[in-house]
Amino acid sequence: MTDLLRGIVGMADWRVWAMFGVGLALIWLAVKKEYEPNLLLPMGFGCLLANIPFSSAVGGGFLDVLFKGGITNELFPILIFIGVGAMIDFGPLLQDPEMLFFGAAAQFGIFFTMMLALLVGRIPGVTGIPGLREAAAIGIIGAADGPTAIYVATRFAPALLAPITVAAYSYMSLVPIIQPPIIRALTTREERMIHMENPEHEVSRTVKVIFPIAVTLIAGIIAPMSVALIGSLMFGNLLRESGVTERLSKTAQNELSSLVTILLGITIGSSMGGKQFLNPTTLLIIAMGLIAFVFDTAGGVLFAKLINLFRKRKINPMIGACGISAFPMSARVIQKMAQQEDGSNFIIMHAVGANVAGQIASIIAGGLILALVR
Amino acid sequence: MDTVVAEGLRISGVSYILIFAVLGIFYGLIKLLLRMLPPKDDSA
Repeated sequence: MTDLLRGIVGMADWRVWAMFGVGLALIWLAVKKEYEPNLLLPMGFGCLLANIPFSSAVGGGFLDVLFKGGITNELFPILIFIGVGAMIDFGPLLQDPEMLFFGAAAQFGIFFTMMLALLVGRIPGVTGIPGLREAAAIGIIGAADGPTAIYVATRFAPALLAPITVAAYSYMSLVPIIQPPIIRALTTREERMIHMENPEHEVSRTVKVIFPIAVTLIAGIIAPMSVALIGSLMFGNLLRESGVTERLSKTAQNELSSLVTILLGITIGSSMGGKQFLNPTTLLIIAMGLIAFVFDTAGGVLFAKLINLFRKRKINPMIGACGISAFPMSARVIQKMAQQEDGSNFIIMHAVGANVAGQIASIIAGGLILALVR
Repeated sequence: MDTVVAEGLRISGVSYILIFAVLGIFYGLIKLLLRMLPPKDDSA
């Protein structure tokens, strides 16, 4: 009887109600708005499970077991990357390798936000961002790449993992709303109407097989801290491109990805306990996450405009915005914008190339931050 | 300037430049692979 009553008594805490609201809001966003439903729905439900007073799912329950077995040791984000790698076709990037540089440029938001977080953390009264490690974990939201954000946050700021993950995945799903106004503000209509020729040459299978192996070796030698991230992504891609492991590739794309996404989502949700989540730092992180996405987009677009100053055949500067890693959402958004300006403009191949370049660049950024921040 | 902020600025700058450098290496790698292994090689 006492056990039954203590649950009801626990409901007197306002934070329980607030976190029920947060959990239900995530489920609503997933179900009604279809914003990253595969992740936000498990996260929302995990949040509910974790915040029921005296829940047996946490405090030594199965969600704690999953957290220790998949998040603390960084296993889940790595497994997710194998699936992501198996889903990505690097063909458009290999056909047009210049797109790599847009992937690099659009990581600007990470570093801008990292500096912003560092400065905000210096304001008297702000307690949640004491140093560089926490600031870097917040900045990595700008990688626009959930697994990288989780990986870095787990290492540098485990206490901030939940709000960082919520911000990263929420803004990734909001790319169609975030990017267009920034692009319009930074480009003219004439620039948005620039046509780009599609590369006509094909890429041999041999190149597609060598690419993931070579990238892993080069990135690993330069930044060993990135090996787990880039290695798992490229391993997944090798399964896809080798042509001899179709069953494994499909398993990585479907069963592995789905299974780990379920576990990752519900486990991250379980880390959204009211005491840890409901504080001003969470609001700061949510706000700074948006700033990261805005400056990623601006960095990519402005870099494209800069390059155009020196080129005869101009690049549509909207392509620069695809350098953020939110794949394939960003490429679709930019193609849609191009067609809104000129129905005959097809820049999707370039957009996809820049988008997958962003995926690689975001992982490199994560690896470099892990290596350089002490 | 606060030493932590200065350190953050240094790491941010170095990281951003290094991302371009690493992707520049990948750019060279792809160009090299495309030149050495054109599509017709696969039909052999």
